[in-house]
Amino acid sequence: MRIPQSATFRYGISLLFVGVALGLSLLVHSFLPDGFLIFFLSAVMLAGWFGRMGAGLFAVVVSTVTVDYLFIPPYRAFVIELDELPYFLTFLLSAVVTSWLGSARRYAEEKQTAHLDELFEQTPEAVILVDLHDRVLRVNKEFTHIFGYGIDESVKRPSTELIVPAQFKGEALNARERLATGQVVNVETVRRRKDGSLINVSEVAFPVIANGKVIAYYLIFRDITKSKLALEQLQKAQAELAHLSRITTMGELASSIAHEINQPIGAIVTNGNAALRWLGQQPSHVEGAEEALECIVRDANRAAQVIGRIRSLLRKNTSPMVSLDINEIIREVLLLTASEANRRQVAVKSEIAAPIPAILGDRVQLQQVMLNLIMNSLDSMSITTDRPRELRIKSSNKSDCVLVQVEDSGNGLDAQHSNSIFDPFFTTKKDGIGMGLTISRSIVEAHGGRLWAEQRTPHGAILNFTIPISPRTV
Amino acid sequence: MNLSRNRVFVVEDDPSMRTAIKNLLRSVGLEAQLFASAQEFLSADRPDVPTCLILDVRLPGLSGLDLQRELSASNVDIPIIFITAHGDIPMSVRAMKAGAVEFLTKPFRDQDLLDAIQAALAQDHVRRQKDSEIAELRSRFQSLTSRERELLPLVVSGRSNKEIAAEIGTSEITVKVHRGHLMRKMRARSLASLLRMATDLKIPYTTV
Repeated sequence: MRIPQSATFRYGISLLFVGVALGLSLLVHSFLPDGFLIFFLSAVMLAGWFGRMGAGLFAVVVSTVTVDYLFIPPYRAFVIELDELPYFLTFLLSAVVTSWLGSARRYAEEKQTAHLDELFEQTPEAVILVDLHDRVLRVNKEFTHIFGYGIDESVKRPSTELIVPAQFKGEALNARERLATGQVVNVETVRRRKDGSLINVSEVAFPVIANGKVIAYYLIFRDITKSKLALEQLQKAQAELAHLSRITTMGELASSIAHEINQPIGAIVTNGNAALRWLGQQPSHVEGAEEALECIVRDANRAAQVIGRIRSLLRKNTSPMVSLDINEIIREVLLLTASEANRRQVAVKSEIAAPIPAILGDRVQLQQVMLNLIMNSLDSMSITTDRPRELRIKSSNKSDCVLVQVEDSGNGLDAQHSNSIFDPFFTTKKDGIGMGLTISRSIVEAHGGRLWAEQRTPHGAILNFTIPISPRTV
Repeated sequence: MNLSRNRVFVVEDDPSMRTAIKNLLRSVGLEAQLFASAQEFLSADRPDVPTCLILDVRLPGLSGLDLQRELSASNVDIPIIFITAHGDIPMSVRAMKAGAVEFLTKPFRDQDLLDAIQAALAQDHVRRQKDSEIAELRSRFQSLTSRERELLPLVVSGRSNKEIAAEIGTSEITVKVHRGHLMRKMRARSLASLLRMATDLKIPYTTV
């Protein structure tokens, strides 16, 4: 830290050094006539170091005059003999150089310290320097802001006592052991403020090494409570949007889904009537009734399955990441969309690779991706009349991921739009909200995969996505 | 009517619904023949017994209404009962105008379907009877000489032998002989029954 020095101090100290040099010179003069040189040169150097440039030169002037008067013949006179002139000038030059060296060195050192001090203080992250026994040596301004401790309250106290919550003590000690071996520790963790409240921090800790030995540790903290909160809110908003989009898509599918449920219900009613008629005969025909009742059970289960699929898609909360068979997801969504495709006179073909490695994913989210891609393909063929309307779903096994392709024979990608189809709110549909592909891409990317579109020849588009294979099955 | 000598065709893409209809028909002793698509139905052989067709409106490929049009274009006269999961009024009007017997919305009352089948089979029975009668009449008509054929419209127009003789330039007695042959060959017991036959054969005549 810089201690400002007054002019009086600087010039005084400079005189003091010269005085001491004079005393020592007089003391040794009788047996070491040139000894004064070393004392006076030391004095101007020290004056330059402690008093800076001005005081250094002042020491040079005072020393020169004193040396000329007392140590250069003729003694006790301010005159210089011609013979002694080179000797005197050499002294003068040496003194000037020595003094300048002292002050310049001091200046350079002060400049460097000032830079480092500024950096330490102004860094927008909390910085603590601790010794090997965890005692705080120094903290910066941001540390006092984030953690609420004053500088005096922190210095010399163990840092773990100040900011590490009890349940994180073990983790902190662990990190310290790694530091001691010279490693850098980079973690996201929780720390405690002076008022006891907890904050999420990202911590970087590294040892200070001098001459091959660890002499202290720097601990740097960034408060990530807000960004963590913002991230959580963003994720929540995205999940809500995805949910809304699912509801919208299901709304588009409503009439097809009604058909899908009505069909087994119609069959149940008819089978029920058949069973009643079998039993109402004289004598009653139990076998026929049994057959009809078995059909009822099967159809009721089918209706329940359809309802179950819809309910899981309309659920707000996403399901956990589990090991999944992508083919199963394709089949489930194809069942939901089959009658919609039928209504729109689209022939659906699936080329499913079996067996396919398991992936790690969220079932509902991946169903949503499939649903979006299939609905998009169906929509893209709505004005196709001059060729068969075909929807082709393929799954295949790549070395480290599974690839799903949704192909249609619609109008394909418009060259001017092909870059914007993944943008939020971009839509070419009259009543679309333009979130389907945006949401699908973010879901796929959250699963570590990729989603992209390409032109299909001669007609239509291919939407591709990959999902990495679950690490357990690799 | 003897139900076992009938055949009910069911064209329905949903397997559950298809089986359910079959179960219902079996419970009342009706034999059903099932098809999953219109194409499948068109390529199948149809037995020579009274039939009717239970047809789903929404089918993959050729729709129910398309099949109805196709059948009528190729002169296949088969009574059709439409069933649909969500029929709208314009659709049902179209189907009924094109000659459908009934238009039922799923889930339908079993009695409604059975009544419609009953009506459709009866209609087909009558049509088939009529068809065979006309075929018989045609063969009788084929056996007439050209003079007798010439005479037929004039006789059913109610003209007297004298008037006919004057019209075709022959004697009244000759007309009387031809007329006797005509009545015998056509197995007509009276002028009224000959008139009905001429109508069925669509022979043009003018009444005086």
